[in-house]
Amino acid sequence: MDSHSNAQVGANSKSLNPIQLRDRLEQLARGAGINQWDLGASCSTDTSVQVDRGEAKQMKGAQRSAITVRVWNGDGLVGVTSTSDLSDPGLAKALEGARDASAFGNADETPAFSPLATAPLATLEQPIHQPQSILHLLATLKDAERQLLDRHQAIGTVPYNGLAQRSSERLYLNSDGACRHQQLTTASIYLYARAEETGRKPRSGGAVRLAYGASDLDIAGCIDEAAERTISHLDYAPIDTGHYTCVFSPEAFLDLVGAFSSLFNARAILDGVSLSSKESLGQQLAAPFLSIHDNGLNPGNVGASAFDGEGTPTKPLALLEGGVIQHFLHSEATARAFGVAPTGHAGMGSKVSVGPDWFEISATPGSDGGQQGLNHLGEASPLVLIESLSALHAGVKASQGSFSLPFDGWLIQNGQRRSIEAATVAGDIRTLLKGLVGFEGPAKVTPDGLCPHVWVDGLSITGEA
Amino acid sequence: MVLSPLAGGFDTTWRSRLESLLSSGRGSGADLVEVFLERTDHIGLLAEQDTITSVSPAFGMGAGIRVFRGDRDGFVSTNDLSDAGLLHALEQALGMLGLAPSASAVASFEGLKDLRDFGATKSDWLKRCPEIQEATGTLLEGTAALERHGHHLQARRGSYARDWQEVLVAASDGTFARDIRLHQSLGLNVLAADGDHRAGLGRRYGTSGCPDDLRQWDADGSAQEVCSSAGTMLYADYVEAGQMPAVLANRFGGVIFHEACGHLLETTQVERGTTPFADKVGDLIAHEAVTAIDEGLSDGAFGSLCMDDEGMEPQRTVLIENGVLKRFLSDRAGELRTGHARTGSGRRQGHSFAAASRMRNTFIAAGPHSPDELIASVDQGLYCKSMGGGSVGPTGQFNFAVEEGYLIENGKLTKPVKGATLIGEAKEVMPRISMCANDLELAAGFCGSVSGSIFVTVGQPHIKVDSITVGGR
Repeated sequence: MDSHSNAQVGANSKSLNPIQLRDRLEQLARGAGINQWDLGASCSTDTSVQVDRGEAKQMKGAQRSAITVRVWNGDGLVGVTSTSDLSDPGLAKALEGARDASAFGNADETPAFSPLATAPLATLEQPIHQPQSILHLLATLKDAERQLLDRHQAIGTVPYNGLAQRSSERLYLNSDGACRHQQLTTASIYLYARAEETGRKPRSGGAVRLAYGASDLDIAGCIDEAAERTISHLDYAPIDTGHYTCVFSPEAFLDLVGAFSSLFNARAILDGVSLSSKESLGQQLAAPFLSIHDNGLNPGNVGASAFDGEGTPTKPLALLEGGVIQHFLHSEATARAFGVAPTGHAGMGSKVSVGPDWFEISATPGSDGGQQGLNHLGEASPLVLIESLSALHAGVKASQGSFSLPFDGWLIQNGQRRSIEAATVAGDIRTLLKGLVGFEGPAKVTPDGLCPHVWVDGLSITGEA
Repeated sequence: MVLSPLAGGFDTTWRSRLESLLSSGRGSGADLVEVFLERTDHIGLLAEQDTITSVSPAFGMGAGIRVFRGDRDGFVSTNDLSDAGLLHALEQALGMLGLAPSASAVASFEGLKDLRDFGATKSDWLKRCPEIQEATGTLLEGTAALERHGHHLQARRGSYARDWQEVLVAASDGTFARDIRLHQSLGLNVLAADGDHRAGLGRRYGTSGCPDDLRQWDADGSAQEVCSSAGTMLYADYVEAGQMPAVLANRFGGVIFHEACGHLLETTQVERGTTPFADKVGDLIAHEAVTAIDEGLSDGAFGSLCMDDEGMEPQRTVLIENGVLKRFLSDRAGELRTGHARTGSGRRQGHSFAAASRMRNTFIAAGPHSPDELIASVDQGLYCKSMGGGSVGPTGQFNFAVEEGYLIENGKLTKPVKGATLIGEAKEVMPRISMCANDLELAAGFCGSVSGSIFVTVGQPHIKVDSITVGGR
């Protein structure tokens, strides 16, 4: 068994027993005449708190369990079923459901076991923390809220806030003997403040922090960032509609790249809904100094998975080097179609989804890195600093390459910045990637990846002026 | 491994188990204890081009236990429906409020009332739904119809989801109610591509409580509608940004009210202090042309329900009447914390979410005008025939995407345009809805918020907004 665990999870959590589960599945499958199967399972124990002006707003706990089982029928077709019932009757029902579904399996593209499902896993440094009591979490969050409210008289509430911790386990098993197991603890805090001055519109801003345990959360940093972001938007003005040089914050640029990750997704390419094609490998997609890697193993990726839904190990993968497409993200089935190895980016299902882990965006080593010495506070011409993008689910047309998104940000000129009242930024992702000007400052670790500030020329901004 | 307690479903045999649990909670000092039990049976199908590429059954079970003391509450969910599992969850919830489980259950809990069984007549719903064979066949008819009616189609997709849910709600105020829900939805999507021109379009159709719905689906008509829109938008130019009047079509155009105002009339927003309308009941907050309603009663509508997720029968709630704010949507916690009476709007995605005040079927009522009159009243503006999704932020700022748009020039529709996003603030846009047409229609959708993703209906007649910010290029 490949196990990736350092200690037992919290005392209240129910543990998955890989050996017991595998033996039970084998017995049930044999009884049902099923020779080939695999299974993904997870269970978790969560506690979280929210507060409202010094009082507990809601305290939540959850024990969750789920499995997805796939079976291959006599014709080699695959069926799948998911359930939250890990009892013996639940497992038997899941196997039966998967076998029934296999009659409708896609003969044109049948998943197989990943050839890497028993390959060695990378070692992740993921300390296991004992959970804190929920009353301790509550006291911590109350204190954080109070500190944030005290930062400025205009901050009246912190309407969206939460402090949460999770103990979880994941399993992957298959009938060829693969047995993956990972235990993990994580914690998060988010603070989203609302400020309002007399006669002015309310403004908001927030921050989030992740860690392996509640005691490790950078709460002071979260308060500082939430306060700074909220206060900095109090003095706002509308912006004239027009084309501007834009500087994306690391978070905003990572959000945008993530929304268009179908560019690198072999599943989307095979389905005909990506802007890329098989022939795009080796083609110039972006400015010649842009590198984008997917690296779920980066130590900054709190809660990294050691293996994907098919048991393939997580590993770093170069997607773009010098703006040229190097590799795509793959599951077992898409890798087979492309004649390459799976990359560790698969989900689990009858049609296996593919998705990115964690992006590293930087200048390509050996390139000029684009325009040097960029400093948004030193510019004489007006530029727009985009702090965060909203409504990506509605405003991004990934298959078309277009986006039109509301954002929070500032208009900056001659070192002076003023918050923009309400505006959208629109463009085409391919044009944007080719129109990169350069990078500013060091790369920042965010929950979604590693990225510096990114300068882009000539984006369309719609304001209310 | 726990033994599955679900063989018999949620019938009245659960009464004694639940009464014991509720009694224990009350005896420990809780003001109110509520238990939400759930069983689900889902199937999702995907057809791509002319092949079924995914058949995904899923079933689940669980409980959510909520304990109130004063205006505070603790909520715990679990997949373990054994007595020990439920008791453990209750003890956790009590502990959140500083309450210790007590062995001395007291008589302050008078027992559950007679079961109100809204599911009694629905026990055959699941069996009456199409089997996988039939459903896949219908879905492939849809993708074949897309091929017949479309041009330059690079991808054709049909999707079907059937969500069956049995719920049992019991609370220490005596509430004891059971229901069976059935939602079915169908989606058709295409990606048309010709050189550098690309257009992705889709439509979704959904009903509740209609086992035969898929059999009555007009696959050919739906495919024609999608292909017609895709063909028009394939060569559309990007819209020019700016402030302009807009006419929003009926059906899914109602997302503007849902996002711009509906969420702000939920008591969850009053609790958070994030609605500008908190103290505006009785005030004019919209144009006098606007009357807006939220209800859970329309036959077969996606957001209809026989009882909410707190066991209360839904109402027809007039939110705004002739521009005047009349009521908020409220759930149990909302009533407790804001004083707004419950409206049968306590909803949740499932057992792992605590109920919250949420919309059901929400629409702007029909007005006196014809749609043509609205368009004719605009010199230069935007006609939004089909809307994409949207959202509202913590300061009441909303946004939503226009999937299919046309310019209005001198009172007439002219060329198609794409890439538009409408943004604004509820307080500013509601007074600008100056005309409502007489063609109210509803459309099915999904709404994600504090208590998860739920089935809703949006709707409106054609409406005219005098001025709105249109984001574009």
